[in-house]
Amino acid sequence: MVSELPWDSKTGTLRRDLAEGMMNPACANALEAAFQIKRRYGGDIITITMGPPMAEEVLYEATAMGADRGVLLTDPYMAGGDTFVTSHTLARAIEKECPDFDLVLCGCHTSDSETAQVGPQLAEELDIPGVAYVEQLEINNRTVRMQRLSDNFFETLEMDLPGLVTVTTQANAPRYPSLSVLETAFGKPDISILGAADLGLEPETIGVQGSPTKILDVYSSTAKKKNLIMKGTAKKIVDEVFEKFGDRISGAIKKDLKTHYHEKKP
Amino acid sequence: MDFNPCMKHKAVRKSVRKFAETELGPIAHDIDRDSRFPWEIIEKMRPLNYFGLQVPKEYGGAELDCTSYAITIEELSRVCAAIGLCITVHNSVGAYPIVRFGTPEQKKRFLPRLASGEQIGAFCLTEANAGSDAGAVETTAIYDNGQYVINGTKVFVTNGGVCGLALIFAVTNTDTQGAGASVLMVEKDTPGFSVGELEDLCGMRANPVSSLFLEDVRVPEDNMLGRPGDGLKIGLNALDTGRIGIAAQALGIAQAAFEAAVKYSKERQQFKKPIASFQTIQNYLADMATEIDAARLLLYRACAINDAGQPFGTEAAMAKLYCSTVASRVTNLALQIHGGYGYSKEYDVERYFRDAKITEIYEGTSEVQRLVIARGVLSQLT
Repeated sequence: MVSELPWDSKTGTLRRDLAEGMMNPACANALEAAFQIKRRYGGDIITITMGPPMAEEVLYEATAMGADRGVLLTDPYMAGGDTFVTSHTLARAIEKECPDFDLVLCGCHTSDSETAQVGPQLAEELDIPGVAYVEQLEINNRTVRMQRLSDNFFETLEMDLPGLVTVTTQANAPRYPSLSVLETAFGKPDISILGAADLGLEPETIGVQGSPTKILDVYSSTAKKKNLIMKGTAKKIVDEVFEKFGDRISGAIKKDLKTHYHEKKP
Repeated sequence: MDFNPCMKHKAVRKSVRKFAETELGPIAHDIDRDSRFPWEIIEKMRPLNYFGLQVPKEYGGAELDCTSYAITIEELSRVCAAIGLCITVHNSVGAYPIVRFGTPEQKKRFLPRLASGEQIGAFCLTEANAGSDAGAVETTAIYDNGQYVINGTKVFVTNGGVCGLALIFAVTNTDTQGAGASVLMVEKDTPGFSVGELEDLCGMRANPVSSLFLEDVRVPEDNMLGRPGDGLKIGLNALDTGRIGIAAQALGIAQAAFEAAVKYSKERQQFKKPIASFQTIQNYLADMATEIDAARLLLYRACAINDAGQPFGTEAAMAKLYCSTVASRVTNLALQIHGGYGYSKEYDVERYFRDAKITEIYEGTSEVQRLVIARGVLSQLT
C-alpha cells in the first residue's frame, strides 16, 4: 500500500492528504472487536483518529458500522508527527474526551509505516497496562483475558481494566456497514473535531517539530531480475535449483519443499 | 457547482467497492463461465440492504438518494455486471414502482420482503411481439369476481429464474389495447405461474434471464399497482429510474475495462517498451478517460436533478444513451489494447466487452432513448 502513495521527499513523510480516506486494515479489526465487546457486555464506542481533515471519512465509516461517536484530531501543527508525539497527542485527547474509559483498542500496526509503536506508547502515556498483537479477547468483570501468537506459541494473558489492547488482522473479520446504517450515519453524525489548542498542546511539542524521530531517507526497495543459464544433466540442474532457490520457492508456495523433495529421494 | 462528491457518497462508494472486490471479485469470472447465480453472495448482500436501496426505512430499506443508488450499481457492475444487473432491476423496476405507486397496504404487504431480499423482483414488459413498442403487449388480465385472470408469455425477463415477485404488464381492457395496460403483482407460488428455460445470452451470463409463463393466473384485485389503465404511466416512470441504473451499470463496466487497459498497457512490452509509451495507445486511453468522465458527469447530473425532486426523464435518457455508448466503445478499445490476449477468456476484458453491449439494448434501446430525448427537447424549445 505504501508503494502506491506519494512521499514528501523534503520531510521524508507520507503525503497522507493524497491518500484515499481509508480505514487502516488492523484498525478495522480493532473496531470489530469493539462491536463484539459492545454486543456481549454493552458500553459506548468512541472512535478517535488523528490526521488531515479528510480522515473524518474514517469516523463516518466507523459511525456507520455502529460506533457511538467520533473524534477527529486535526491541526497543521500535528502534521508529520512520529509515533512518540502521535501517542502523546492521542493520550491527551482520550483524557479530555473520555476520561472514564475502560478499554482502549488499537490496530496493531498501520499499513503505511508498520512500526506498531503507537499502541504500546499510548499505554505508557495513559499509564495503563497494554498488550499488543492480540487475536482473541474476552472480558470478565474488570479483567480482560487475551490470546496472542508470539514466536509461534499461543500466549494467554490477563490484564485488569482500564487497559489497552492492540488487535491483529487475524483477530476477526470486520463487518461491512449496511447501506441503511450508512445512510443514517450521514444524517446526524456525532463527530467532534479538535485541534492542538483544544487539547492544550503547544505546537512545538507535537507534529514534526516535537518529534524526536527524524526520517533521513525514504526509498522503495527494487527487485532485480537476472537470467541464469544452468548446464548439465537434468538431475544436476534440479539439485542445483533446489539448493540455490529452494528456500524462496518454499516461501512462495508456503510448503517446506526441501523436506518434501529430499523425502522422495530414493 | 460542486463537483466533489460529498462524504456520504464517498463512503457509499468505498463500502460497496470493498464488498464487490472482496466478495464478487474472486467469483465474477467463474459465474460468467458457468452461468451460475451466486446465491451465497446474495445471502451476504441481503442484510446489507442491497435489495432495499431506495425503499423507505420503515419497510426495511436503506432509502438512499438517487446518486448513492447510482454509485452502488456502478461499483457492483465494475466488478460483476450480472449481479449489478440483478440489483438494479430488482430495485429500480421491481421495488421502486411499489414505493412510488403502491397503496399503504400494498407497501406493507410487498416492500419488507423485497427490501430484505427474501423476494427478488422482476419487471415483465417485454413479449415476443412487444419490445420497444410497449403498447403492443398481448398478455391479458381479465376481471372476474374480485380477481384478475392473467394469461400470456413474457420474454427476456431479467432475474426471471430467481424472482419471487413479478410486476406483470397486461392489457385489462382489450378494447383499448395498449392504453388499457395495467400492472399486476404476481408472486411466484401463484398457481399457473411458471418459469421457462434460462436464456443463453452473449453477456450478463450469471443473471438468470428467462421467459415467464402465465396460464390462468388468478390474483386478487388488490394486487393491481395503480388503477386499471395506469400501466403505461407506471412503466414509463419505472423506466426513468431504471435508466439511471443501467447508465450506472454501463459506467461501471466502462470503468473496469479502462482500468484493465491502463494496467495492461503499462505491463505489456513490445519493441522493448511498454505499449503505454506509444502515442496510438495513449490516444486510445485519453479518449476512453475523457468519455468515461463525460458519461459520469451526465449520469450524476441526472441523479442530482432527481434528488432535487425535479423531472429528470430527458436527462436520464441522455445519461443512459451516452453511458451505454461509451461502455461499448471503451470495452472495444480496451479489448483492442489487450490484442490477442483480450480475445481470450483468460482476461476479464472480453467479459466486459460482452456485458457492455446489452446496455445499449435493454431498458429502452439507444434508438428509443433518442426518441425520448428528442421528445423532451422538442417540447421544451420553441
